[in-house]
Amino acid sequence: MSDPLVAAKLIPALLIVVPILAATLPLALGLRWERVGWYVTAIALAVEAALAGLLAYAIYGQGRRVVHVLGGKQFGRKDVMINGTPTEDFIVGIELVGDALSGLVVLVVAGVALAVLAYMRRAGPRGNAFYSGYLLLTGGLMGVAVTGDMFNLFVFLEITGLATYALVAADRSTDAAIAALKYLVIGTAGASMYLVGVGYLFVRTGTLNMVDLSRSLAGDPSWIDGALYADPLVAAAFGFVAAGLLTKAAIFPLHTWQPDAYAEAPDSVTVYISALVSTVAAYAFGRVALFVFTPDFFAANPALINGVLALAGASVVAGSALAATQRRIKRMFAYSSVAQFGLVVIAFAVAVHPASGDGAVRFGIYGAVFHLVAHAVIKGGLFATAGAIAAGDGSRRLSSYAGLARRRPFLSGAIAVLGLAIVGVPPTAGFVGKWYIAVAAVESGLWPVVGVVFASTVLTLLYVARILEKVYFDHRPDAVPDHGDASGEPTAGDATGGAVAADGGAPATRRVSLGMAAFVATAVVIAAVLGFGGAEIASALDPVVDAVQESAPAIEGVKTDAIWEVANNE
Amino acid sequence: MSELATLVPPFAIVLVAALLVAILPRLVGHAVGVLSLLAVLAISLLAPHGTYYQTTLFASFDVVLFSVNSFSQAFGFVFAALGSAAVLYSYSSDAPKVTTAFALTYVSSTMGVLFAGDWLTLLFFAELMAVTSTLLVWHYGGEAVRAGFRYALAHGISGSLLLLAVTWHFAETGTFLFAEEGITSITSGIPLYLAILGMGINCGFVGLHVWLPDTYPRPHIAASVFLSVFTTKTSAYVMYRVLPLGDSVTLAVAYMGGIMAVYGAGFALLQHDMRALLTYHIQAQVGYMIAGMGLGLYLGGTTLELGVGGALAHVFNNVLFKALLFMAVGVIIYRTGIDDLYELGGLWREMPLTAVGFGLGALSITAIPGFNGFISKGMILDAADPHYYGSSATEPIYWLLYLGAIGTLLSFIKLGYYAFLHGEWDGPELADAKPGHTVAMLFIGGLCLLFGVQWEWLLDLLPWPLLKEEAYHLHPYSSSHLQSQAILVGISLVAFAVIKKPLSKLGHIPDVDVLVSPLVYYSGKASVYGVTELYAAIDRTAIRFVRGCYWVGSNPTLVAVRLARYLPQSFRPSFGQDEPPADGGTPSRLYLRASIGTTVLLLTVVITLLLILAL
Repeated sequence: MSDPLVAAKLIPALLIVVPILAATLPLALGLRWERVGWYVTAIALAVEAALAGLLAYAIYGQGRRVVHVLGGKQFGRKDVMINGTPTEDFIVGIELVGDALSGLVVLVVAGVALAVLAYMRRAGPRGNAFYSGYLLLTGGLMGVAVTGDMFNLFVFLEITGLATYALVAADRSTDAAIAALKYLVIGTAGASMYLVGVGYLFVRTGTLNMVDLSRSLAGDPSWIDGALYADPLVAAAFGFVAAGLLTKAAIFPLHTWQPDAYAEAPDSVTVYISALVSTVAAYAFGRVALFVFTPDFFAANPALINGVLALAGASVVAGSALAATQRRIKRMFAYSSVAQFGLVVIAFAVAVHPASGDGAVRFGIYGAVFHLVAHAVIKGGLFATAGAIAAGDGSRRLSSYAGLARRRPFLSGAIAVLGLAIVGVPPTAGFVGKWYIAVAAVESGLWPVVGVVFASTVLTLLYVARILEKVYFDHRPDAVPDHGDASGEPTAGDATGGAVAADGGAPATRRVSLGMAAFVATAVVIAAVLGFGGAEIASALDPVVDAVQESAPAIEGVKTDAIWEVANNE
Repeated sequence: MSELATLVPPFAIVLVAALLVAILPRLVGHAVGVLSLLAVLAISLLAPHGTYYQTTLFASFDVVLFSVNSFSQAFGFVFAALGSAAVLYSYSSDAPKVTTAFALTYVSSTMGVLFAGDWLTLLFFAELMAVTSTLLVWHYGGEAVRAGFRYALAHGISGSLLLLAVTWHFAETGTFLFAEEGITSITSGIPLYLAILGMGINCGFVGLHVWLPDTYPRPHIAASVFLSVFTTKTSAYVMYRVLPLGDSVTLAVAYMGGIMAVYGAGFALLQHDMRALLTYHIQAQVGYMIAGMGLGLYLGGTTLELGVGGALAHVFNNVLFKALLFMAVGVIIYRTGIDDLYELGGLWREMPLTAVGFGLGALSITAIPGFNGFISKGMILDAADPHYYGSSATEPIYWLLYLGAIGTLLSFIKLGYYAFLHGEWDGPELADAKPGHTVAMLFIGGLCLLFGVQWEWLLDLLPWPLLKEEAYHLHPYSSSHLQSQAILVGISLVAFAVIKKPLSKLGHIPDVDVLVSPLVYYSGKASVYGVTELYAAIDRTAIRFVRGCYWVGSNPTLVAVRLARYLPQSFRPSFGQDEPPADGGTPSRLYLRASIGTTVLLLTVVITLLLILAL
């Protein structure tokens, strides 16, 4: 372990193992000490953040591609013969990969996990079982980020999903339980579709490793006769994989689980899952499209990628329109995510679209990843602000936000900045990603897509302006937070509000905590200044762009990598 | 010495002098002004040919701020010579310090144009010329202010046209630099037409010339001397840079030159106001230049050398004699305060020096042998004459120019006759020109005579090297040239005797300005209204759109209900209430949530869709 290289190659595995192992601790230690969960989680996530930092340093600081092969030295890429056929470096076992693409996602997951923990110190929910679920979810998200194996990706998606179902229902309200059930059924259905697709790929190619899959699809190995891009089974596999991942990323019309889940989940859980769960699903879609199927596949099947573009475009328009019609803040933000992930998928789709030249590929990747990160920060911040406002005075509806600027100037300001960031007002973080996406769309010459991307700004303004108008310009003196629903419809928000009211003076105990304020402030600052780091993040992504443009995630690159050599020689 | 000459660009020298003139005592300031222009004169003669300062502006445009070539040398020389005399004249004419200062900034920007090595620099200084000359007009106050405004409008338009042309040229070629020395025409097509139109306004194309007689007679007499020279002649030089070789557009411009010669001379003949008369002659003389360069460039070959050479020589000469005429007339106005020709008379006894100055100028402009106008005008006429170097295509131009020559003779006979010869001066005792006036006039008149007699020196100075070759036979003083000029003068003298009487009875003859001025006024007014109204309309539409969006945002349910009416009955979603109230009431809610079963159905639909697409 004294060799830094050996240490570095362990990081991808540790990123998954640490939270999953730590997830057992709150329950185990909870038998002895009652309130140990938060501290255990804090320590585990601090370690996680440190690991993520080390990985990011190895990837971006030293320009490495950190690969870990699970299972010890008998696994990996070996130069051996099987039945007289050379394996051509095909892998035995499961690879975990930290590269320029996954490194950013790992950083975001680790950072948000730690920040949300601070937020939930006071905001709840609590209980050792909850913290176990929280750690499990973090481990699953890390797994999705770093895995280099298609089946392994399914496993981590399911870990993520199962943990999320549990967390959504964590406050044990009826609506949350229904929302969790809906999420469970739809999420599992989507994951099954994904698994079917992976099965097809395995049947056709005999491998599950992403790099090996892309090589097989390209027809590289001697036992495969030419490129498989036109193979119906492969095309069908993409259909299933895409449908599954788009369900997880909540793309219209597969998004129906998402607004319920976001709206009914406890505020802290909403912050966490809105920032990360769909994010890693969209990331997985991008990774699969870019590095498994590769642009060459879509050149052979342009209709497929056009179909994905159409879905994503519809998602932008429908998500924004639905957001604009909502009256509950959390549902509004939830539908906003439907629209924003539509943009991210558009960007990934443009990056692999056959109409795209080098420039469009480059800006598509920049835009997708930047917007993914920016959205995580902004949307997490918005939900956190909404949660803080609800914790402060129980406002969960747009109508009760009237005159909020006087009552809660700090949180109102946060809503304003983050809202403008999601609209994409320069120089906020939301602007840069959208700008790259727009440039990519223009360079690819896909004019309907250009129209959707530009329209998305106006559509976003539709609901953000509604909020800002209420918060800053509606001075109805009788505007008071509504603790009950006038029309009598029971909702989770009302249930919480009702519970607060029933507690009699309970709002005092659920005041905006330091952790909540700090979380909101951090999100606002990052949303405001991340835009200035656009060039740095873009250049960090250049290896990804190069790999896509050379149409090879480069097994050669892996072989010559010092870390991989270490893994082999061990 | 020659290195010293390229140390500072001429425009900078004159600009500094302009500032000093405004600050220093009047005598010292004007002396500095004269010296600065003499320095420029020296630079023009001494700076080594081919010297240039190239630099890059805004990290993207290559520009040559200072380029010494044969054009800038010739015109730098003559403009500097004239400028120094004009500053001296200005001093004697009691022009305010600030007037001279403005005049010098104007001269400075002209120097910038002449020594420019690329279109961007040229354009910049051309715009600066428009600004500084407008200030020069405005500074006089009174009627000159309104005229100055019209003047600024005309030059604003011409500058914008040239800007468009140059921008387009850059977009096409990716460079502002002149292609090479000599003919460096701007990109053909629309940029060319824009540039010709823009410079056409400055040169006084018939119909576009109304600003000329409108402005030049109005400001201070010294300002008129400056104005009469720089803008129009510089524009003629730019026009030469613009025109393409052998293009029919070039021929059309040459015809325009011929028409300008007749039109300008004709209207000059009708004027009472002395400076107005001279101003129309600017149009006529620029017509000769345009015609010469146009037909030379169109026909090419030996005509190219003769036509363009003649045109450039005429630019050179015209700078001298036209300014000289304005000086002489200016002295008359200075001493008598009278602008109207018919109120004067018998002045040669009162003001013999002024009469000599005027005579030198008039003999030059009417192309009397021995004066410089004879040389350059003769070259242009020869180039147009189908019996010499012209062709049948240029024959009409020849006759137009011939007619223009008669008109010129007639109008200067008229000017000289009524101002100096006719009758007796019955007003108060008049002093003659001041020493400064006299020196300025005699210096310029001397140059006119010098380049008329020693015409080879003129050709040596010109940027048309082929003219100097032995093979070229230029005989300005051949008997046939002299003979035809004698016929011209004869015709004119007889004609003047005939038309003198009716001419004096004529009142004001309207020029096209009676049409153009209202046209510009009303179209300008219309465009102002149009722009304002268009903006207002856009503003209204934008506000309506924002309001609409806001209404949609405030009443999403209502919008959804109304939109749903357009759906077929079976697809129409069910609503909580039938029709939610608009603004004010609580909107009802929409139940659009898909159940778990519906979602799984949707998932199946999406997969089916993707599988169909995968086929």
